[in-house]
Amino acid sequence: MSGGSGAPDAGYLGGSAAPGGWLGTRDHKRIAVLFLGWSLGVFLLGIVYAVIMKLRAQSGIIDTHTYHQMLTQHGVLMVFLYVVPAIPSILGHFVLPLQLGAANMAMPGFSLWSFRFYALGTLCFLVSLFFGPTAAGWTFLTPFALTGEGAFMLMAAGLCLAALGWLVTGLNIIVTVHTRRDSGVGFFAMPLFSWGIYLAGYLLAAVGSLFAIIIVYLALSRAYAGGIFGPQSDPLLWQHYFWFVTTPAAYFALLPAVGVIGDMVAGIARKGFTGYRVTVGAMIALLGLSFTTWGLRMLGTGLSEDLGVVFAVLNLATAVPVALIAYCWLATLHRGAVLCGAPTTFVVAFLLQAGIGVAMGLCLGSLAAGRYLANTLFVTAQSHYLMMGGVMTALLAGLHWWWPKLTGRMYRQGLGRFAAGLYLVGLNLAFVPQILQGLAGVPRGVYTLPAELAGSELVSLTGVWIMITGLVLVASNLFGSLFDGPAAPANPWGAATLEWQAESPPPAGNFAAPPRAAADPYVG
Amino acid sequence: MGAEVPPSRPAGRPNPALLGAWTLAAAALAGWAFVAGFGGFLDQAVAPFGTYDIAVTARQWSWSFTYPNGWTADTLHVPLDRPVRLTLASEDVMHGLSVPALRLSEAIVPGRAGEAWFEADVADTFELRSDIYSGDGYSGMRTALIAESPAAFDAWLTRVSDIFSGRTDVEVGELLYNRKGCVACHSLDGTKRVGPSFLDAYGHEVETRDGGRVLADDAYIRESILEPNAVIVAGYEPVMTPYAGQITDREIAAVTAWLKTLSGHGGAEAAAVPDTTGADAGQKETE
Ligand code: HEC
Repeated sequence: MSGGSGAPDAGYLGGSAAPGGWLGTRDHKRIAVLFLGWSLGVFLLGIVYAVIMKLRAQSGIIDTHTYHQMLTQHGVLMVFLYVVPAIPSILGHFVLPLQLGAANMAMPGFSLWSFRFYALGTLCFLVSLFFGPTAAGWTFLTPFALTGEGAFMLMAAGLCLAALGWLVTGLNIIVTVHTRRDSGVGFFAMPLFSWGIYLAGYLLAAVGSLFAIIIVYLALSRAYAGGIFGPQSDPLLWQHYFWFVTTPAAYFALLPAVGVIGDMVAGIARKGFTGYRVTVGAMIALLGLSFTTWGLRMLGTGLSEDLGVVFAVLNLATAVPVALIAYCWLATLHRGAVLCGAPTTFVVAFLLQAGIGVAMGLCLGSLAAGRYLANTLFVTAQSHYLMMGGVMTALLAGLHWWWPKLTGRMYRQGLGRFAAGLYLVGLNLAFVPQILQGLAGVPRGVYTLPAELAGSELVSLTGVWIMITGLVLVASNLFGSLFDGPAAPANPWGAATLEWQAESPPPAGNFAAPPRAAADPYVG
Repeated sequence: MGAEVPPSRPAGRPNPALLGAWTLAAAALAGWAFVAGFGGFLDQAVAPFGTYDIAVTARQWSWSFTYPNGWTADTLHVPLDRPVRLTLASEDVMHGLSVPALRLSEAIVPGRAGEAWFEADVADTFELRSDIYSGDGYSGMRTALIAESPAAFDAWLTRVSDIFSGRTDVEVGELLYNRKGCVACHSLDGTKRVGPSFLDAYGHEVETRDGGRVLADDAYIRESILEPNAVIVAGYEPVMTPYAGQITDREIAAVTAWLKTLSGHGGAEAAAVPDTTGADAGQKETE
């Protein structure tokens, strides 16, 4: 494969560089771009829903029923169609083969189908909105979800397709890591991002297949008023299945985020990574624990006390791997020649936000408190700290880190840092009020908020607008660079991982000359 | 940027003492979180002896609370300083019982008997609401929990559960018809259910199963309620539950007064007639 058939700096983006054009492409980099564009659309829709719901408290622009429909759509879009698959799909597809010194994913057809499943699933879901949006709540509690209007079957089909996309992505990642590593890249010398994606691959495969099955069973149970989750079955059965599947799903969003930050911490400190093996071990531990903590969600449902204690202990046990990882990040940053650019600001934002999310998780893991808070806005706030503050910030950090590689362009560092700052401030203004409301016992998903919360809701709404301003600046900075950004060198950050040995943007086959891997992935 | 960036330098290994101390600190924090929450959790799990028991029923989208004397209300009154045990049931979908002020949050799962307990120690009115989404009326699915001194509580319960206060006897009779379950077997419009209709029942002449005739007067009504199988109406099975011990004399009088209003033979007319009709019936029996 020749890298330079298009314009010299167009790389894989150039028209003739890859067979199959865009929609039929099997090039991992183009797949990543497709995922990026598509998930951006999903994210925008989810944000629009969020803003409209937020405005209800001020202006009552929607009625209760519409509110509950929108809350359901917001949850489904953001959780299943955006935040959970985002990093593995976008950054995973783009960076993994490059980091391993490979020319492509091991199964390029799977790459293409993972995108097709995702796109089709999203389309199915969107079409279902025209036939009738469901208001069952994004956790689909039975028996309530078995009744009520909405094109449930179509929506479930959409989620099933999306979940099959996860499965395909996961298998592709696992096989790629095992068969496509450059001879110089040892298993225990993969960059942490590759580790994060690799471990998430197992979760994607496991959770993808399980979720595809249960959501179809649920839709069938609803359609035929019988079956495993039907009206005759115990309502807790669905909840066990649902949380058993979606708790690890949160981890397959978080593990790649941990990987992104790991690579970036070493990169911006321009040092090797302190405690590489400790971090890998801790990530594997998190993977294992992710399957054992679902029951904490069900403390108030008559779960036996013994089980409650077991789940609480397992959940609190995650504090140890999390602490190990945090230590290694800080130790790596310590005395580093820290690069002063937009990626650094995003990493700092991630550390703060994820830190708050983890601390809140500790409260939820403390049995009596967790039980009291389980159905309050505290949980909503905590998941937003982990998903928006953690995963989304890591995605933004990663996009700023790999953008020069992805597009061959440099964006404005100052603007990027400012945008990151706005995002950070907005996020906290938006969600700290929710923490307080949750502590005061306000349950989630209520349309009418108590009158005394009007003030804190206004603060929260202001925060949402600031956060959105930050995101608009991020987008204008990154996409603006495509038009007027200076060309990016192959290695703008002076990082050592293999992707920086390829051109920016890389040609279709990735490496013009075989990459040279060092024994330590972070010291070139 | 780019070309001038110096290459990365190798990292040191993590300092084992620091790493160990840091991790221990995190584990200690998690351990503390566990210990802090464990006591409260166990406390909530097991109700003490001597609780005052109230049955809670949740449905889309309202609450009802049934007290030990059978009285049902839509707000929850509780006595102060006494452990209260709630048994939880749902008539339709999942609901959640939440009283933030008392740190109470418990799911109510349809088809499962749930339980929660608490003890209120300040006289106040708290918000009690559902915290599990159940559809459009979810936000409004709330009511009041009123904690009051035991004396005030007892006074409240006696006042509201006295069915006669503020009602005429006829109104009480109709209420009992619904509450005591007569409605399941007796219609008011002449149609036959499990038992005969109450329309025109009072004062009419009843054909008994063994061929006799009885006048449906006060004494007959009383007997039919307390010991329904003493006389069986022709064409019916002896399946009515004896209400002896479950209904007071005053309540029977109220039901009787109400039955009279449903009957063409009722009221003063019927009261005046008994002797003659009674004699008729007696005659027919002898014939
Ligand atoms: C399980 C069904 C059932 C319930 C509940 C029930 N009844 Fe009856 N009742 C019957 C049947 C059957 C008869 C006729 C057979 C008999 O005389 O026992 C009857 C007969 C009567 C009669 C005699 C009617 C007549 O026309 O001669 C009276 C009065 C009566 N019931 C009152 C009541 C009252 C008051 C209640 C509620 C407190 C009540 N019943 C609840 C089944 C029921």
